[in-house]
Amino acid sequence: MIGMIVRRLIQLPIILLVIYTITFLLAWSLPGEAVINDEGRQPPAAVLDQMKKQYALDDPVTFYFQYLYRITGARYAYLHATDRGEEAPYVFDFGPSFKYEDWNVNQIIASSLPVSIVLGMSAIIIALVVGLTAGIVGAIKPNSMADLATLAVALIGISLPSFVVGTVLLILFPVWLGVGSVAAWGGLGDMFLPAFTLSLPFAAYIARLTRMGMIDELHADYVRTARAKGLPWRKVVLKHALKNAFLPVLSYLGPATAFAMTGSFVIETVFSIPGMGQHFVDAVRGKDLFMIMGVTLIFAGMLVLFNLVVDVLYRWVDPRIE
Amino acid sequence: MGKVAAILGLLVASLAVLVLSDRSLPPAELTVINRSEFNTLDPQRMSYLHDLRLAYSIYEPLVRWDNESPDFAIVPAAAERWEAHDDGRTYTFFLREDARWSNGEPVTAHDFVYSWRRGMLPDTVADYSSFFMHIDGAQAFFDHRTRKLETYAELEPWRKAARYGGDADVDSAESFAALPGAAQRDLLQRAAENLYQESLDFFAENVGLEAVDDTTLRVRTAKRIAYFLDLAAFGVYCPVNPDLVNSYRRINPDSGRIEQSFDWTKPPKLVTNGPYVPVAWRFKREMFLEENPHYWNKPAVKSKTVKIIPINDPNTSVLAFETGAANWNSDVTVDYVADMLEAKDRGEYEWIHAFSTFGTYFWSFNCTPTLAGGQPNPFHDAAVRRAFTLAVDKREIAENVKRSGEKPARVFVPPGSIPGFDNPEGLPFDPTRARAELRAAGWFDRDGDGVPDNASGTPFPVVEMLYSTGSYHDDIALAMGSMWEEHLGVKVRLIAKELKIYKDNLKSQNYMVARGGWFGDYGDPTTFLDLHRTGDGNNDRGYSDPDFDRMMDAAALEQNPEERMRLLAEAERYTMEETLPILPIWHYNYYYLYKPPYDAEGRPQVGGLRGISDHPRLVQYLWKLDVIDEAEAAAMPPRSPRDADEPSPAMPVRTGAAPRPAPPAADEGAAS
Repeated sequence: MIGMIVRRLIQLPIILLVIYTITFLLAWSLPGEAVINDEGRQPPAAVLDQMKKQYALDDPVTFYFQYLYRITGARYAYLHATDRGEEAPYVFDFGPSFKYEDWNVNQIIASSLPVSIVLGMSAIIIALVVGLTAGIVGAIKPNSMADLATLAVALIGISLPSFVVGTVLLILFPVWLGVGSVAAWGGLGDMFLPAFTLSLPFAAYIARLTRMGMIDELHADYVRTARAKGLPWRKVVLKHALKNAFLPVLSYLGPATAFAMTGSFVIETVFSIPGMGQHFVDAVRGKDLFMIMGVTLIFAGMLVLFNLVVDVLYRWVDPRIE
Repeated sequence: MGKVAAILGLLVASLAVLVLSDRSLPPAELTVINRSEFNTLDPQRMSYLHDLRLAYSIYEPLVRWDNESPDFAIVPAAAERWEAHDDGRTYTFFLREDARWSNGEPVTAHDFVYSWRRGMLPDTVADYSSFFMHIDGAQAFFDHRTRKLETYAELEPWRKAARYGGDADVDSAESFAALPGAAQRDLLQRAAENLYQESLDFFAENVGLEAVDDTTLRVRTAKRIAYFLDLAAFGVYCPVNPDLVNSYRRINPDSGRIEQSFDWTKPPKLVTNGPYVPVAWRFKREMFLEENPHYWNKPAVKSKTVKIIPINDPNTSVLAFETGAANWNSDVTVDYVADMLEAKDRGEYEWIHAFSTFGTYFWSFNCTPTLAGGQPNPFHDAAVRRAFTLAVDKREIAENVKRSGEKPARVFVPPGSIPGFDNPEGLPFDPTRARAELRAAGWFDRDGDGVPDNASGTPFPVVEMLYSTGSYHDDIALAMGSMWEEHLGVKVRLIAKELKIYKDNLKSQNYMVARGGWFGDYGDPTTFLDLHRTGDGNNDRGYSDPDFDRMMDAAALEQNPEERMRLLAEAERYTMEETLPILPIWHYNYYYLYKPPYDAEGRPQVGGLRGISDHPRLVQYLWKLDVIDEAEAAAMPPRSPRDADEPSPAMPVRTGAAPRPAPPAADEGAAS
């Protein structure tokens, strides 16, 4: 197990370097000028040249290595070791944002990532509670009314786009019923609607995974044995069958959590939440190079780490796995 | 189950920690919804409308506009008075003694010199740096510094040190290499500082900007410009606090450039000289302004605290306003604005307000001789551009396609927005004349297939209409295209691109016809007309006409203001009736949501917003905005419904407090 963790952690920088290179190539080839405001007054050509020079935007090779030098912490280490009178503000320096000129990518990630984590985790918790319950209910009596109802709800949860669900919820609760508020973030109450909207597709998928797994497990021999021994049905379902049926859910949970935390662009827009998902889309739209690179690397890192955490949990839940 | 529950429990616990560590800011006296987060609070680098609006409320330029006066008069701000000298190029500003930064220090003439110089420096890379080039010597200073930086960056380190380091012993690569590392770096740093000092000396000698003493600022412009005071009131001319900005900048010893960290714009570090000072700024969440405790004119500040919330999604921002999250929604862009305005006309919805603005929506013609593919460009011929303009029924587009009260446009400069400027007529909607123009240009149907052909029998190329996705432009393109097909017989193809690609194509003249738009910056027709000058950075049409350039030059030299306006009006007539680099469609409207100060019966309303300016220049001062509370409502006299400040249903949009009525552009399309 320790070996696995170490191996994965060694792989991490290699994976990130590959992702960095691919992202760089894609982002660099985006059409358009990175440093200008598309709707406003254009700076004189001489000023535009200065802008490009400032960020090495006139030379892809320099840009690639200069940025690599900054984000890996090498620049920080170098400046610290040589005491050149220049301060590196961050160990891993993701650079400035072209669009939000007063903020650098580190600050933007620092302010938006916690919001995304809160939103994503709330959504995953809701999805787990709702999905597991629905899955178990469905599996106990397959093809019953309760099962069909949960399947139908799950289907809707997966198929309805979140901007529809989100907008309907906004109009239903804050606007018509006066419960909660629009475009607020901070209080527990503000979190419920967006988290619930975000959780729906995850809940639906978890419900289906659980139901399928449970139906298989409930027909397994050990369940019959446990029942024959006289173990109560409730205990058989919740303790024995669920534990095994939960494994596919658990492996889904890794990427799902990463996606819930970063892929919430639509939810963030509809509910006006200052999270990180919007930056993926906005940065690409605005060719905000440093931002594209920064958020992509953070997301990639999170994906790798969550998969690792899930693998560790997997072994803990099911010690048979090596 | 136990282990599954443990995993869930762990999630919940870590979540709780995050949630509890995050609290909202308290409510403010005035809450404003903006459409997007501020891009920068550094006035010299601003270029977005919402940034500039904030600049007028947290900073104070030398002079500002009175946004309630019909002629948008220039009034004293940080300067209590000024003198314009007889040469028409020199201005002396006398700063008020009690002007203070929010840290209590006096605002001096030196602060303005520092800030304006910052706007001229190539190191600042400001979008609006060209605005400072009106000052005498500024362009030379920009060029000088640019050249110096380029030469310096290419020097080997020892040469940098030898030439600028000021150490006589270092005169070769060897003597430099012999120094210890720290000494080398010190020397390079000194070299870069000296390079900057050299630029400052150049500035002092050559640029017409000087602090005579702490409260006297003298400015000399490069040419006589009639609108210099208007420029001085513009946001990028606001001062920054030199001590604050200097403590966040460093001179790069390798490139010689000044490198800025913009952390100084983050409260509580930020020091401003305007009515408000930001005390909290949470990215994409909210900004909190408090009254500047040292502001000289505190009684003018109506709301003592202001909160600004950015909401990107148009629909969410309307819902947020309607559920009471804010007193003013400053930018409504939902596609049901037209329905809201209709509901208002029926008396069912009182919150939406439309204002005509200082901007024009148009489509650009590519005026270059050949298209990107190398084939000849039919739109190079002004007669073809005239024909295509005459064939568009703008009233139909404004009233039945856009449907939100915009005034159809025949000209570029919004009528009534600039005192003393008489717009020309422009071209009407006249399909017959359009066909005649096209025929005169050599294009008519020679082979009977309905499509016009030229003398060699080549049919008119398919007209490609380029626009950016995600807005109303596709509707407009469809309407315009069908008018061209119907009246001129040409074939039309719509090309929708992402904003960046659209912009790229526009810049490289890789298009035939493309959507465009422009908002003026200062109260002079040149803020629009300069766009047509040969080689202007915003001339995306590749329009180059020596006659027009000559007209603009003649106007620039004209001493008599009335004659100057006449020359500019002639230049606009020339472009709007003869050469048509652009096809104006409508003058933009801006939409706000706020509760009006008086209800339909003319009674004052609690929660109503006072102080919104309806002038088309659309400068809103946050410190003038006042939410009516119960005491104020009780004290306000009721108003008869007849002179309520709301426009009558027949005329949904006000023309602003224009000094004269709008020209007869309103009957656009009468020719049909």
